[in-house]
Amino acid sequence: MTIGNGEKPDGFETYWEDTLAELAALPAAPEVAELPLRSTDFATAYTVRLTSIGPYRIFGYLSIPKGDGLFPARYYLPRYGSVVDLVPQGTANGQRRDCVIFSVAVRGQRLADQPYAASFPGLLTDGIADPSSYVYRGIVADCCRGLEYLAGREEVDAERIVAIGADLSLTTAALAPRISHVVSSPSLSYTAADLATRTEAYPLEEINDYLRLYPSHEERVRRTLSYFDLRWFAPKVTATTLLVAGSDGEALDAAALNPMAESLGGECEVYKSTHSGFRDGVFTEEWLARQLGMPGPSLPPHWQP
Amino acid sequence: MPRLAADKYVSNVRRPDDIDEFWDDVLAETAQIPLDPEVVHSPLRSTPQIDVFEVFYTSLDNVRIAGWYAVPKERNGPLPGLLQVPGYNMEPPIPKNWARKGYAAFSVAPRGKLRSNRQFNPGYPGLLTYGMVDRNTYSYRGFYMDACRGVDFLLGRDEVDGDRIGVTGHSQGGGLTISTAAFRPEIKAAAAGAPYLCGYMDSIDLTDAYPYQEIADYLRTNPGSRQQVEDTLAYFDGINLAPRIQCPIIVSVGLQDSTCPPETGFAMFNAIASADKKMYAYDGHGHDANNAQQGAVIDAFLASHLHP
Repeated sequence: MTIGNGEKPDGFETYWEDTLAELAALPAAPEVAELPLRSTDFATAYTVRLTSIGPYRIFGYLSIPKGDGLFPARYYLPRYGSVVDLVPQGTANGQRRDCVIFSVAVRGQRLADQPYAASFPGLLTDGIADPSSYVYRGIVADCCRGLEYLAGREEVDAERIVAIGADLSLTTAALAPRISHVVSSPSLSYTAADLATRTEAYPLEEINDYLRLYPSHEERVRRTLSYFDLRWFAPKVTATTLLVAGSDGEALDAAALNPMAESLGGECEVYKSTHSGFRDGVFTEEWLARQLGMPGPSLPPHWQP
Repeated sequence: MPRLAADKYVSNVRRPDDIDEFWDDVLAETAQIPLDPEVVHSPLRSTPQIDVFEVFYTSLDNVRIAGWYAVPKERNGPLPGLLQVPGYNMEPPIPKNWARKGYAAFSVAPRGKLRSNRQFNPGYPGLLTYGMVDRNTYSYRGFYMDACRGVDFLLGRDEVDGDRIGVTGHSQGGGLTISTAAFRPEIKAAAAGAPYLCGYMDSIDLTDAYPYQEIADYLRTNPGSRQQVEDTLAYFDGINLAPRIQCPIIVSVGLQDSTCPPETGFAMFNAIASADKKMYAYDGHGHDANNAQQGAVIDAFLASHLHP
């Protein structure tokens, strides 16, 4: 199925170069504090606060394995919602034994919600009438800042940094090439304006809600979203990528994502979701173990053979 | 492939002798508080077919609770009411999908969720262990009541048939489905997916994943509190609330669920008093509990009892 006939907006590169330049002009000013409650006998947890564009103070959970050596790093980009966990719900806490973990909370999410507390629903259309005011410009900058901090940690093996998330893992990998691997399950930033017309489900329904109330803004909304479309970021992604597609027939199935997969600048494997958190989770962890040179996948007890 | 026979698991949870008295007191205390509902139409979220309202009401401890209410614009007579209860770290959705199916649907944001966090905001992680050493201060004492008050809200609506009210949710929503069905006899049908808040203390041994890992984190830093924690959680455990459930109910679990171990789902299911109960256990599935297929099962089950 072919979706998304929109074209790359004029000034796409300039828009993002300006955003990154704005970010570079601001010191990150990290504040790092140990978090004994989430520390274990195999990993130490920390809270991290950083400055992003705005200027705006963002948050992250950091976990460092105990012991010496360089470790691969998992950079968890937030999914759509207010809560950010140290490691994603349902995954093995044991992943913290062998990997540095950094989970960033972008502006508006809990722990990064002062002075801006995002609404859910609401975030997806906040400032959407203009690319310069759209909240996701800052969110993408937040993700880049988080990566910069993680990559600068002396415990991190710079050759093994994997960004894991939905759309933002690809976006960040495109803008911040220090990422070696990507796991991405696109959901909101791939031909979003077209996808929204084909669903009544949130979060994309937020776009429909907005246009129902402000129908004259349609072209402006399409223009703004085009600056965030993964299709235009894909050629810049040089990391090895696992692209998690929907099942056949779903809006973002492998056929729909194929044009983007083929345009990625690095190696890409497309995996069709089975709608089983177990099967998809095991596949992802095995892929990560292979790519990062780990002795085996990090699986919670119920996923183990 | 199941690592153990989850349905044969024997829970370590013990039922306090005074658990019914405890909850009857909490329910009575809650009932004395005026609901004071505020219903505000949302033009932004409404469609030509569905009216959406922001709702606010008062719950235990006089905490103001928010929710989304969605009803079909075209209706012939009273509608069945459906309470949708949320997962642990998700935002309560606007239940337009249920309204499209003919329900007056209310999606509650219990205390601590966005829009209900002005007076109480323990955060995530945090909610699961807040006040956990005292049954009278534990976060879920109020959280459970906030969901129950959603039933009161539906009962107060002219367009809702009070004899046709159901509840459904997944994960924490599954746990809240259990507690709400246990506490409110007005519930006529309940559908719980991958229920959380069942076998709390069992779960910290069965899985190393969050959110239950929050309890392990707490006990690691407060090792002297274990008995108090265990005593408190016994009052809130779905396994101990299930004997109060009398309505028709379906439960689904994934046999490879690392978030809410299936062993605890079975233990809770076995304790349900209702004779009209059915378990859907899905091998090869994790916390999704095969939602892709189970959704149709839930639709049919609720429709058969609530007649939208």
